Amino acid sequence: MPSGAPAVTNGSQQGFASVQMIRVSELTKRFGPTTAVDRISFEIGRGEVVGFLGPNGAGKTTTIRVLTGFHPATSGSAEVAGFDVQKQSLEVRRSIGYLPQEVPIYPDLRVGEYLRYRAELKGVPARERRGAVARAMAKAGIEDVARKLVGHVSHGYRQRVGLADALVARPQILILDEPTSGLDPNQRRRIKQVVRELADDHTILFSSHILAEVQDVSSRVVVIHRGALRADGAPKQLVADSTPARLRVRARCAGQALREAVASLPGVLAETLQVDDGEVASARCMVAPGGDPATELGDRLQRAGAAVHELAVDLPTLEEYFYAITDGRDELRDDIEEAAT
Amino acid sequence: MNGAVTTLKKELLSYAVSPVSWLIAVLFYLVRGFELASIAFEFAVFRADPNQFPSATYGAGSTFYMVLLVPGILTMRCFAEERRTGSIETLMTAPIRDFEVVLGKWFAASIFFAILWLPSVLVLHLLEYEPYFGADVAFGPVLSAYLGMFLLSGLLLAFGCFASSLTENVLLAAIMTMLFTGLLTQASRILTQYVGELRNDYYMRELLGKLDVYGNFSNWFARGLIDTSHVVFYLGGIGFFLFLTWTSLASRRQA
Repeated sequence: MPSGAPAVTNGSQQGFASVQMIRVSELTKRFGPTTAVDRISFEIGRGEVVGFLGPNGAGKTTTIRVLTGFHPATSGSAEVAGFDVQKQSLEVRRSIGYLPQEVPIYPDLRVGEYLRYRAELKGVPARERRGAVARAMAKAGIEDVARKLVGHVSHGYRQRVGLADALVARPQILILDEPTSGLDPNQRRRIKQVVRELADDHTILFSSHILAEVQDVSSRVVVIHRGALRADGAPKQLVADSTPARLRVRARCAGQALREAVASLPGVLAETLQVDDGEVASARCMVAPGGDPATELGDRLQRAGAAVHELAVDLPTLEEYFYAITDGRDELRDDIEEAAT
Repeated sequence: MNGAVTTLKKELLSYAVSPVSWLIAVLFYLVRGFELASIAFEFAVFRADPNQFPSATYGAGSTFYMVLLVPGILTMRCFAEERRTGSIETLMTAPIRDFEVVLGKWFAASIFFAILWLPSVLVLHLLEYEPYFGADVAFGPVLSAYLGMFLLSGLLLAFGCFASSLTENVLLAAIMTMLFTGLLTQASRILTQYVGELRNDYYMRELLGKLDVYGNFSNWFARGLIDTSHVVFYLGGIGFFLFLTWTSLASRRQA
């Protein structure tokens, strides 16, 4: 493949041929004896908005810093826009707009001055600079603070100034490291809206540990924990395929009859089944990932002449999934064991 | 080199809006002004040769303190502040080469230092008129002195950039530069004067003589004497410390 041209390959998750804008292969980054990122691999196609998820300290920022050329990889390789991050760092940096986790911008410059400086630094031609800065400020919604000193604007505005900086040279790829960190709900909403708007003509890697946000803006998530890749795929699919759901049923019948009807259902984790007897018997249990026995259970209860008061399968959330594959794994097991006892 | 020019412009803007820069400028102009006035008064009282006036001014205390203190203060923020605030990340992930950043910051500090000095040329020019000296001041030694000052400050500012690239602590960066300047200006002189063995060794004496940067400035450039070996020494020193700064910055990517 000629250097400098994005690779055309089979998309890893989409199942169709796509142009890979970010390709990470067996990437490892060590700081002395500590392994921050451990042989992770993933690819991001053109136009994708990918959420980069992981708890604090998972290795998200380190991975992003390798992708942006700030840190070299210890081993493995990474390409951005078809350029090797190690050997063609300058070309990589020309192709990306990067918003770091903490937006450290010069407090003694005015917002407009700072963005003009950054546009010049990023090679935006002089005749286009004014327009580029105006456009970036409009997209980030910061026109009203253009003449304010950066040091005098609020944290939320500063974050948006950082976003405008990432956008000013119209990069193909945006790498946003926790862009909503420390923002109030309104500001978070605004940033998410901007990211959704940008998704039309950018490839976006959006890192966060706030799951709802990732779910809101991303069509795909890459989950990293303790430096290792834990999952890669569409959020709903990942959740449905790997996290147990909760089944709840209340029916007018004997508790033993309800127990037998539920326990023999396909996918029910029998050890989690808990039945309460009474005028209306109730049962709760966990269902194996991918299983949906609600229809079958409804039919059985109907055939047995039991009036069903409640029958529901609570699908797991991305949050539960996240717990399950990161530190919360043990807690989820505890939940299951608690339900069983 | 567009990156260096962009960095230079931004750094000059930062100097222009920084209260520390203005404080240095005001203090320097005040002290320098009083010194020039008192030297002019002495020249008038003792009817000294007005042509010697420019050279005499470069031996004034403000020159020494300007050389000792200001390079450290001007360069302390160059990289240490960027590292402390984290803005080094946005700078180093922008499409700009590391050496362009180093050159831009060094040039900006040098230009600001030159801006501090240049108004004193106007003062010397004013002194040519009545009722001051009313004599033609020889501007050859003045130009030579300015060349020497810019070379000397360039060397110290290059070291200042290097010191600033080693730490996140701006104060420590300034102190390192001041110590280095103190060492350069005093150590070689003291060693040459008091350590007999060194004084007797020709090569050692020559080396220590070259290292006595302030002595070279006041004894040569300020008197209108330009020795190519001094110029080469200063330029070599500037190149050496800028190279070290670049290496230090590049090694941060390896961290």
